[in-house]
Amino acid sequence: MNILIKRNLKIFFRDRSAVLFSLLAIFIIIALYAVFLGDVWLDDSMQNIKGTNYLMNTWLLAGLLAVASITTTMGAFGVMIDDKVRKINKDFNSAPIKSSQITFGYIGSAFLIGVIISIITVFVSDIYIVFCGGMWMTLIELLKVILLVIFTTATNTSIVCFIVSFFNSHSAFSTASTILGTSIGFLTGIYLPIGALPKSVQFVIKLFPVSHAASLLRQVLMEDAMKASFSEIPANHLNEFKEYMGVTFRFGDSVVPWWLSVLILVFTATLFYGLSIINLSKRIH
Amino acid sequence: MDKIIEVSNLQKNYSNLCAVKNISFYVERGKLFSFLGSNGAGKSTTIDILCTLMNFDGGEVTIDGLNPRHDRQSIRSIIGVVFQDNVLDPLLTVRENLLIRAEFYQSDRSLIRKSVYEAAQTTELSEFIDQPYCKLSGGQRRRADIARALINTPKILFLDEPTTGLDPQTRKSIWNSIKLLQKKTGMTVFLTTHYMEEAAESDYVIVLDHGEIAAKGTPVELKSKYATDCLRLSVSNEYTLRQILLDFKLNFTMSAGEFIINLPDTMKALPVLEKCKSCISSFQVLQGTMDDAFIGIMGRDIRK
Repeated sequence: MNILIKRNLKIFFRDRSAVLFSLLAIFIIIALYAVFLGDVWLDDSMQNIKGTNYLMNTWLLAGLLAVASITTTMGAFGVMIDDKVRKINKDFNSAPIKSSQITFGYIGSAFLIGVIISIITVFVSDIYIVFCGGMWMTLIELLKVILLVIFTTATNTSIVCFIVSFFNSHSAFSTASTILGTSIGFLTGIYLPIGALPKSVQFVIKLFPVSHAASLLRQVLMEDAMKASFSEIPANHLNEFKEYMGVTFRFGDSVVPWWLSVLILVFTATLFYGLSIINLSKRIH
Repeated sequence: MDKIIEVSNLQKNYSNLCAVKNISFYVERGKLFSFLGSNGAGKSTTIDILCTLMNFDGGEVTIDGLNPRHDRQSIRSIIGVVFQDNVLDPLLTVRENLLIRAEFYQSDRSLIRKSVYEAAQTTELSEFIDQPYCKLSGGQRRRADIARALINTPKILFLDEPTTGLDPQTRKSIWNSIKLLQKKTGMTVFLTTHYMEEAAESDYVIVLDHGEIAAKGTPVELKSKYATDCLRLSVSNEYTLRQILLDFKLNFTMSAGEFIINLPDTMKALPVLEKCKSCISSFQVLQGTMDDAFIGIMGRDIRK
């Protein structure tokens, strides 16, 4: 493994406050649900659906996983800012390692941290879901979720990396991470169901690539719960529900198929990795 | 003569500020070379250029036969740098830090462990090697920094103000280890400092001022050229003394009841003393120090 990935991981996990801070967004989202959002989001017309708890929990987990890797990778990239501020990057640059290796070290470690924390979230949440009367994930579901988590994290890492590549100071970095951390929940439509929001906001959410990661995760995670809840209800209600909750997005008359969401994520990742590498490779002035 | 570093007409501008103006010098292999200058004289800029951390705008640089424009990586593998700032990871122990840095240079596990052991031995940091870097004292940190720079047994060791911010005792001990190291390994040491007494112990000194070379030479040469020796006399008979000094055509100044006479060298004091021993109560002959030389060089520049 790249020695710098190892080093960055070591530094990140040794700084307890950094770890805690990067988990903060996850805690905030959970707290928001526990306190009031959980009661608000189900439309009155859906009160008679059975198993709403199970539905709500899986929906929450999908949204959480979509944004968890944004804030955790943001925290992980803090190491990169630290290195710039403390001028530790000078030490790396004076050693015979390529600048691409250094960049790869930061991106790789941020990605791994994002994946590790997301996967922990998956397991903890699954235990909670079962505890609240839901069902265990099947092995296939679990594999799909992990694959999606890896995929989502890779895309989120690219976006965060691009943003962070502009910063050279702690204050700018922490301002950006606060703004991103608070706005990301709205941009991806995970605080409130997309159907409960105005049309213009819905449009913005549908354009934001991370929302597509949330949608893909919902399709996998909520499948069982939806089957159980909608077994005796006509299919058009299910489709309505899916759109209301952002399980699937609709542009005009056509529903966005899963592969298009995947393509959007791939395109986003490629674009932002490219841009960040250009930005970060200006190491010598 | 074996020149390990050769610099000719080096130039570096920051947007509209000229940090290094057309300087040329060379460093002989195995020597202890000092860059002396006040803050902002261009020392760190020059070191950054030599360490391939910065591009330059004009001139030629050769490091052990390599060109920093093309052979960046090869240069990086034969140099070690101690930066002005502490650049090891504060949360990791010294050993972890060194193991990580050693892997930048080689991939063989046993060789990595060996080079960490050796660097730790030379810098005498075994007793705190397993403590986190952030818990160390200033002097211990510097030792760890030097161990880091030695991890690849470099041909050239660059030290950018290695003793700045340390207490006098620690400064002395760090400085002694640097000298010892240089003697033992025979590696070329290139350092910048603004402490005159440190520069005085090196083989060759360049004094930098506002990006230009203000003076260069061995410490002895600099001292004899820019520092004046002086004779201080406590007077018992002022009138006679004035007469004698006028006869010798010597300039003198008076301060706190003492006559201060600048001399080209200390030996010149003897005939003067012989003549005026009857009209003085005591005397001191002072040889110029590096401090005087430095002030002499800078003072001359200010007058210009």
